[in-house]
Amino acid sequence: MTELTEAKEIRVSQADADFRRHIMKIPGAEKLMLCYQCGTCTADCPVAMRVKEFRPRQIARLAAYGQKDRLLGGDTVWLCAGCYTCYEHCPEQVRISEIVSALRKLALKEGIIHPTYRALMKSIAETGYIYEIDDFQNEMREDEELPPAPDPDMDEVEAIMRKTGFLDLMEGDK
Amino acid sequence: MRYAFFVGCTTLARLWGYEASTRRVAEKLGVELVDMPGSSCCGTTYLETLNHLTALTMAARNICIAEEMGLDIITICNGCTEVLTKANKVLKEDPGLRAEVNEVLAETGKRFKGTVKVKHFVRMLKEDIGLDEIKAAVNHLFKGLRVGAHYGCHMLKPSDVMLYDDPEAPTTLDELIDVTGADSVSYPNKLECCTGPIMGIREDVTWAVGLEKVEIVKKYANIMVTACPFCYLTYERCQLMAETSPDVPVVHYPQLLGLALGLEYEKLGLESNKIDASRILDFVEV
Repeated sequence: MTELTEAKEIRVSQADADFRRHIMKIPGAEKLMLCYQCGTCTADCPVAMRVKEFRPRQIARLAAYGQKDRLLGGDTVWLCAGCYTCYEHCPEQVRISEIVSALRKLALKEGIIHPTYRALMKSIAETGYIYEIDDFQNEMREDEELPPAPDPDMDEVEAIMRKTGFLDLMEGDK
Repeated sequence: MRYAFFVGCTTLARLWGYEASTRRVAEKLGVELVDMPGSSCCGTTYLETLNHLTALTMAARNICIAEEMGLDIITICNGCTEVLTKANKVLKEDPGLRAEVNEVLAETGKRFKGTVKVKHFVRMLKEDIGLDEIKAAVNHLFKGLRVGAHYGCHMLKPSDVMLYDDPEAPTTLDELIDVTGADSVSYPNKLECCTGPIMGIREDVTWAVGLEKVEIVKKYANIMVTACPFCYLTYERCQLMAETSPDVPVVHYPQLLGLALGLEYEKLGLESNKIDASRILDFVEV
């Protein structure tokens, strides 16, 4: 795996330009090319403060150059906590967090998804909740004088997952 | 006042104290929280990053249940708040996307109409009940209790979606703490994210981020107060995982308010908080 921080020459090909176009077509990521690399996003990021391989400014630059392999290899795009600090602070309203989200969407189309995300999504698709809520939980709830958890209508949840193509996307997972 | 109550997976599955205290406080204040039959996970902020249409439709299905009930939605998880608020706003404003989502929903017999609002419980307390009325209902004032409030990101951000309070200098939670007689203190990095959403990716980072804030809060306050299950779990678990013994109790906001309203400690599920919070009772003025 290539670390994001590793110095590496950037070569731009047509494939890279296409990748950039794909990113910018995703709602929220349209303003990628307004980034002038001021670094506010990285400076204010609670994850970047502690994790050297997560650098929002570098993500924006590599995205502008369409560097798909460097962006989608490793855990980089899965390290954003989605706190929207960069989104709020960016002087150009580039919405870096939305660019990271766009990269996750493109990763999934390539069959790439972090195992933790895969497990959470599988649980939603199969139980309607991110964690299964079974008899044990409902007994504990009863002890606290709480009503049983709502029983998700799984026919409806499954229909949404199928019709929006999400089940197919998850099956394409490597 | 009646609302559809959207509890959210994490609270339903393991934070019964949060749910119990929310329900008891609502009841005490004359607010009826009605369960939403057939509702599921909101869709999660995770799913939002993976597929736009799936996430929107999952959220829309839950909103439709409240629409059928004819009630606005109350949430107690910041993640659910953000996901449902965003979907509700986008689908009200964008007829194209609404048509796309309704086409998917057609198979479920549901249809998004855009007739309800989504609000976090603390926002409802401030906007719909009001600080004065809550203050009038408080009969067990805290005295000398210093509280480190943690808002959590998605109660306020993205600000162009949430359109509530000031994301850089919010006051809602502080004001709601102050009406109990406690003092919501200022402390460095108060608005920093708990990073709970990457707990499952790099838990070492989440625990480090959590402990850093806990150490700061310890210098300024007696307890920490949260309004989101993820933030709560981060600040509780980072202390339980640490080598040093946990010493900053983390309390769900409705538990604090509940005590001030004269509700019993046990009834507010405070015994299920994993860091003993009983020191809080020393500050209650009877």
